[in-house]
Amino acid sequence: MPVYFSEHEIVVPGQLLSDNGKRSGEGTYAHGGKIYAARIGFASIKDNKVVVTPFKAAYKPAPGDWVIGIVSDVKPNGFEIDLGRHLKGIIRIPDREEVISTGLNVGDVVYVRIKESGLSGVVIDKRSRIKRIESGILIQIHPAKIPRLIGRRGSMINLIKRLTGCEIIVGKNGFIVINGPSPEAEFAAIKAVKMIEEEAHTSGLTERVEKFLRELVGGAEALGP
Amino acid sequence: MSRPSRLIDENGKRVDGRRPDELRPIKMEVGVLDKSDGSAYVEFGGTKVIAAVFGPREAHPRHLALPDRAILNCRYHMTSFSVEERKPLGMTRREIELSKVIREALETVAFLEEFPRAAIDVYVEVVQADGGTRTAGLTAASLALADAGIPMADLIAAVAVGKVDGQLVLDLCDLEDKYGEADMPVAMAPRFNSIVMLQLNGRMTVEEFKKGLALAKKGIEVIYRLQREALKKKFSEISPEEV
Repeated sequence: MPVYFSEHEIVVPGQLLSDNGKRSGEGTYAHGGKIYAARIGFASIKDNKVVVTPFKAAYKPAPGDWVIGIVSDVKPNGFEIDLGRHLKGIIRIPDREEVISTGLNVGDVVYVRIKESGLSGVVIDKRSRIKRIESGILIQIHPAKIPRLIGRRGSMINLIKRLTGCEIIVGKNGFIVINGPSPEAEFAAIKAVKMIEEEAHTSGLTERVEKFLRELVGGAEALGP
Repeated sequence: MSRPSRLIDENGKRVDGRRPDELRPIKMEVGVLDKSDGSAYVEFGGTKVIAAVFGPREAHPRHLALPDRAILNCRYHMTSFSVEERKPLGMTRREIELSKVIREALETVAFLEEFPRAAIDVYVEVVQADGGTRTAGLTAASLALADAGIPMADLIAAVAVGKVDGQLVLDLCDLEDKYGEADMPVAMAPRFNSIVMLQLNGRMTVEEFKKGLALAKKGIEVIYRLQREALKKKFSEISPEEV
């Protein structure tokens, strides 16, 4: 496939990427049999498709994503979940009695999986259990920074968990719940998450986060209850 | 300022010393504001414009939301201190019109169907006006939209052409706009050679119109290149393995 970009080149909207319009992937669009970039990001070829990995992008719900939301409405046939920004998820429960028996109320924070997303709205998967989050601190970061927060095979998030002793639940929509043994540990974890959000584009971040956390908490042992 | 005796001197130079087909010095910077999702600052000589984009976010009032795509709101506004005589607060008829014109131009390139039921808000604030604020505003707004990560078919580059002392000139300044014979702002999505905004104030012959449009296209090519450079510059320090 002839392409007009070098691997990992920064491309801008409207830039011509390829002559083969059939291979248009995420972050690109096809017009007149050619592929153009639709976003600013790195162009590359994935699974034989031209894709642009954007630097900034609003969260777009996809089936199978685990997200954190806040129950914003209880209706006779289900719940409405605020997923941040303009996104609302819906949990459809046909039986009214069942709605009451779930015990969910407005303001509750839930960890749920998306079943489908389309013109009919964002529908939550009921079968994979709706997990109500009982306690913790809810914070929000830019959804585009979530992959960086998790790191390669969870390296970054596990580092924070290990050094602060906190339990951290990450939703793909940018909501994060931190639950720790002490306020100091929770505070340290929040600082680290915010640091990753701000410095997501820099290299050597894992080492800096580790150093930062060690200075702040002196390891998880010091934070035990 | 009062009307100068001539807008083009015996050497063919304009009031600010430019050649007829010369653009003013252009400055562009992307990501100048922290609180907005995307922003840009654009300067065409004395014209200084800031654009900020918020969204996609919830549409307000709710009944305006569309089930299949996002709505685009746009506000073009001139600050009180942008002109010589204080501009009163609030939106004038002119500002309301320009807001609409800019919105319609942006709607042609943004993929709004990506965000059903949402709203995207574009704010164009003129910090200093010296002619060509709508074109500078549109240039800045498209940069801010791209910076916000809104998918779009192309950037929009815009410039005005006009007739001054019987001669076609590119990128009019305030004096030329006020005392010239015609002013024609043109905005294009250069990748597809499509015109997304065109207005004309004053009189031009068909021949002049055609020549003027060709002149505008030449200017737009330059602006488009600067836009792409400004966008790439903001993200140039990011290394691929970090994303």
